[in-house]
Amino acid sequence: MNRNGTVGKGNVGNGTGGDGTRGDGAALRWTCSARWPEPGDGDQPPPLPGFVESTFSPMVAAAAERCLRQAVGPPPVAPERGERIAVVLVSVGGDVGTADATAAAVDAGRSVPPLLFFQSVPNSVVGHVASRWGLAGPVLCVSPVGDPQDDGRELAQLLVEDGEADEVLVILAEQARGPGGRSHATAVLARSWDAGEDSGPQCSNHECSNHE
Amino acid sequence: MASDPGRHRRGSSAVVTGLAVASACGRGPDALFDSVCAGTPAFGPVTRFDTAARRVRVAATLHDAAPLPEELAEALHQSCTQAGLTVDQRKDSPLLLAWHPGPDAVRAARRASEAVKEAASVTAAVTEAAVAAVAVHAPKLSAATHAPGSPDAHSAAAMAAGLAARCGLGGAVRTYTTACVSASTAVADAAAMIATGRADRVVVAAGYLVDQDYFGLFDAGRALATDGRIRPFSRGRTGLLLGDAVAAVVLESPGAARARGAEVLGRVLGWGRAGDAHHVCRPHPEGAGVARAVRAALDRAGVSAEELDYVNAHGTGTPFNDSAEAAGLRRALGPAVDRTPVSSTKSVHGHTLEASGLLELAVVLQALRHGRLPVNAGFLDADPECRLDLVLGEPRESRARYALSLNAAFGGANTALLIGAP
Repeated sequence: MNRNGTVGKGNVGNGTGGDGTRGDGAALRWTCSARWPEPGDGDQPPPLPGFVESTFSPMVAAAAERCLRQAVGPPPVAPERGERIAVVLVSVGGDVGTADATAAAVDAGRSVPPLLFFQSVPNSVVGHVASRWGLAGPVLCVSPVGDPQDDGRELAQLLVEDGEADEVLVILAEQARGPGGRSHATAVLARSWDAGEDSGPQCSNHECSNHE
Repeated sequence: MASDPGRHRRGSSAVVTGLAVASACGRGPDALFDSVCAGTPAFGPVTRFDTAARRVRVAATLHDAAPLPEELAEALHQSCTQAGLTVDQRKDSPLLLAWHPGPDAVRAARRASEAVKEAASVTAAVTEAAVAAVAVHAPKLSAATHAPGSPDAHSAAAMAAGLAARCGLGGAVRTYTTACVSASTAVADAAAMIATGRADRVVVAAGYLVDQDYFGLFDAGRALATDGRIRPFSRGRTGLLLGDAVAAVVLESPGAARARGAEVLGRVLGWGRAGDAHHVCRPHPEGAGVARAVRAALDRAGVSAEELDYVNAHGTGTPFNDSAEAAGLRRALGPAVDRTPVSSTKSVHGHTLEASGLLELAVVLQALRHGRLPVNAGFLDADPECRLDLVLGEPRESRARYALSLNAAFGGANTALLIGAP
């Protein structure tokens, strides 16, 4: 993204330049961005009822909540607007914590905790965010080969350009693996310029102006 | 095969020129279609892993299934060969993969990491499973983020990158992990990439082989049928059963396919995606998201509800899903729903999770090609909450031109693909 908040080319970012894709899309603007953790946050994201054993879903929900509160105010959004907001969850590694907990139960010959059933797929936390905020556009969860930020941007661009959404909540999330790593999630709301100027502020967050 | 340019009011957005599929029904589209028309369920006792601690011990498995990376590579090879793609054309074709790595990837990563630490040589000490995984990922060693020993070496993205390199495709874009709408979402994105001019051709692959982890998760969630059958839209249905599926399709712009003289197997005329905004894992009881996805697909294709000839439903056989889906179809199609044949072929091949959208697309392509609508098997008695024109007992002969493939997933994700006859 360039400094005025627009995205130019709609090329898929696989980092190789040889993916056979092309195209110039309509520009998007990024109305807000938020992350977890932010300065002052502890090591763990706020608990998310019904989600256990893993920080993945709670940190996704925390970043989304912060972004949407800044961008649209308190939940929910108006139904006619919510139907045109898509949610895209981008994570290379996915929910490693839940996978670990499931593997541990299966390998030990124990019954799998029932709560892990629904949280074993990333859709579920998206369902939490979508139902709380009334976001009823397309739902996508992906693991990108190239840069996650580029891929989230490309999917947002594709959804808007193809007419499936006017706004896209893009959430990037990775869990820490190994010593010294830290889990983190970033949520950004992308809007079509055609969606109008009156329903959300332009983001002044450094995250938004640093996406070149 | 010749097309009729006046037949589609808005024209084809993408055409299918290559198709490969394997499931518990056998290998190839014909074996699949024969089974779903006969209505012969492919369920049997699971022997792939120990089910002694589970409530349910039945699934639909392919008896000679190779490890998933091998099956996916073979499906990609077959679909590209059927499409008649040259080496250069493959290099120009990006790959979208639908797959969810799950706990097995965590185990493989752990084993590989331990082996690296102990022996300084990955191949010296890794287990058989890790060897298979590393072999798939090996061509992508130049990408540091997916290299063996890196945290993401066993990620969903790494699988896609390895497959693309192994099969000579022009680079993997991403892996869809959107649960049971992964494959249908990938097809919608591929069609959108073609429709918006991003690509002339996109290859989509999907795979799920019944495994101990997801079997345990679904068993713990009490989602599995307790009577050994999936009975979609039927009174007395008790849940779903898991099934194997590996599939790949080649999608092209109509112009690119025409220029190559490629045979068209079917047309992706419309797609729609919508969320329920209702619950973490339960569908909207009135099928709100299903209805909007269906209407979006019909609108994009310029096809009316009255023109729709067949619906291949998500139809998992769970009480919540089937009543919500039936309500959503009624909401979207109006009175025409009473004259629209519907079946869920999960009653035969099982619920294949991330691969569902591609396996069921294969069923729809075959139904349109052969003019025969597959059976909604396992039906016991009508459920007033699921008033649909179900294809029961025998396959229905039909000069079908337009069909919908529906899928839904946790998080309230719904997809509809509107497919046209060749």
